[in-house]
Amino acid sequence: METILQTLINGLLAAGVYALVASGLALAVGVVGIVNFAHGEFLMLGAFVSYFLFAAQGLDPLIALGVAAIAVFVAGAISYYGLIRPVLAAPELNQMLLTFGLSIALQNLALLLFGADTRVVSPPYQGSTISLLGLSFGVVPFASFVLSVALLGGLYWFLGRTRLGFAVRAVAQNRLAPGLLGIETQRIYLIAFGLSAALAGIAGVMLSVMLYASPTIGFAYTLKAFAIIVMAGLGNLRGVIPAAIVLAMAEAFVSTYVPGGGGWVEAVFFLVIFVSLTYRSWRFR
Amino acid sequence: MKKLWVLASTAVAVMGLSLAQTSVKVGVILPLSTVGGKAALNGIQLAADEATAAGKVRFEIVSVDDGNAADKAVPALTKLLTVDKVDIVIGGLGSGPTLAMAGPVKQYKPLFLAIGAASSLVENAFTGYDDFFHFHPWDYHNVAAAMDFFKYLYGQGARKIAILYEDGPFGSAGMPTYRKLLQDAGYEVQAEPFKTNSGNFTAILTRFKSFQPDILYWIGYDWDALPIATQARQVGLKPKLIYGAPPAWPIGFDKNPNSNDVVGMSAWLPSVSNQESRNFVAAYKKKYGEVTEEYMAPMGYTIVKALTAAITAAGSAEKDKVAEALAKVKLNTPFGPLAFKPSDTGKTKYQGFDSSIWFQFQYLGGARRQVYPVQGAARPIRYPGSY
Repeated sequence: METILQTLINGLLAAGVYALVASGLALAVGVVGIVNFAHGEFLMLGAFVSYFLFAAQGLDPLIALGVAAIAVFVAGAISYYGLIRPVLAAPELNQMLLTFGLSIALQNLALLLFGADTRVVSPPYQGSTISLLGLSFGVVPFASFVLSVALLGGLYWFLGRTRLGFAVRAVAQNRLAPGLLGIETQRIYLIAFGLSAALAGIAGVMLSVMLYASPTIGFAYTLKAFAIIVMAGLGNLRGVIPAAIVLAMAEAFVSTYVPGGGGWVEAVFFLVIFVSLTYRSWRFR
Repeated sequence: MKKLWVLASTAVAVMGLSLAQTSVKVGVILPLSTVGGKAALNGIQLAADEATAAGKVRFEIVSVDDGNAADKAVPALTKLLTVDKVDIVIGGLGSGPTLAMAGPVKQYKPLFLAIGAASSLVENAFTGYDDFFHFHPWDYHNVAAAMDFFKYLYGQGARKIAILYEDGPFGSAGMPTYRKLLQDAGYEVQAEPFKTNSGNFTAILTRFKSFQPDILYWIGYDWDALPIATQARQVGLKPKLIYGAPPAWPIGFDKNPNSNDVVGMSAWLPSVSNQESRNFVAAYKKKYGEVTEEYMAPMGYTIVKALTAAITAAGSAEKDKVAEALAKVKLNTPFGPLAFKPSDTGKTKYQGFDSSIWFQFQYLGGARRQVYPVQGAARPIRYPGSY
């Protein structure tokens, strides 16, 4: 029983970061209409901002969260303005190839600038644990989970309660009509894409404490984020949290209860993509 | 007139020195964006500069980056051999890229001096290629050194070992053999694979909790070090020892409180007290203004020292003569004495170091301290450690 509860907690805590990364991707897909393969590289940028602020200034990652969010928002906005905007009307394949190229370019730029080495951020509370009724979990994963939930709550509030949020949703539903009502579509795209990158950047800061900072850290999370948004339904923001929980739980239970299950973790994600797509095509036939 | 005489004498002396020196162009292929690769290149350049300054051999080093990837290593090596036209290559740090380079090496036939590449698969790939000198120990030497340590820990009361291994060739290749060796040594073993780069070990570590291992042994890469040390605490695993065997350790890990008491294996640390090691540390600090803890730095240094000795003995930079002389080189190095002999399996002719260069260190108070073998230990091992 204790193992089951511990596995549930492990899965739930992992779901927080997964949901945060996937929400950013869902925003890019749902609002801007672009499948962004470079999403994980914005996460990587956030991780490096956290590392360098910690290494150079001893700045706590909690404070680095704000700096990284702004820095990665700007990086996302520049990427949108310089690269994404010109291809918005192009075929989807061209857009995907462009973001794939951007991913490779950013990863190699990081390799050139920072090297391939793994770098760790070491705040004093990193190894702290909470023990409760025989269960044990880390303070950092728990805080990341709470922060992810709070940020996603804020995002839903923004989209559902503010004028700008209404505008974002309107643009997501129809690219042309909001323009006739005076909504600056390009500005909304810019904000949405920047916000999408910023969410990944914040997740990057969290992962710099939970794992490490390295040029390749974003790749695995891009794959997981894709699996989650496919399960949630492309662009469906509200489906992201339940999908992230289901996937993280599946990952935790397979790792814990299937012998040698640690090696099957990625297979779980791809199995979910496969089943989701097959089910949808069958259901809407 | 006197000035002219001094100038002329100096010019003649310099010309004489350069004529007496044997010039050689050496290709170096390493993962230059990694700590280990950079350290190796620094060691190589340091020894090359020393040889040139001593008037023995004039080295021209041409370095290329293999990106630690097979697809980058092969074209980079081909460029060294066909465009730069080098006959001697130092490189092969990672086993994967070195394995991929076996084909081009056999095609262009340079003298290949392998700095790393411990996998037996590399030994198989270079079987029958006589211009292959492997300085680094093979993986079975690494296993022998680790097993020696585990037998010592058995004597300290350790009985259960949980192994967490990455599911790629690095972690998985020797696992059945490892498991058997540990079981033969009296250990109860539970081994679980993990997906490399996944970063999430909580589930497997939770599973290990019911096994209550004395030792948590992970075979993976530098990026796994901190997540494993942290997540073991987070799930309350509490082993008596966390032991890791990555090819390199992450930057900043030594200063991270979660690294304390973690044990690993290395072939060299700056605190190694033989004369060659002390000389190397002093020369490295003088040239680069810092002290490295990467054993690839003295490994690169040792290779060029051995090459210098071989070229001096051969009196020529001609590849075959250098190879013949290198086979006979005997040298004191920061790792201890170096002499070549056939590998233990007999598959390659020239093997430099073996399991005797390995020792175990423990992160204690923000630094790596040698803790085993006991006779060379800088500090007694903290067993059980506090995690």
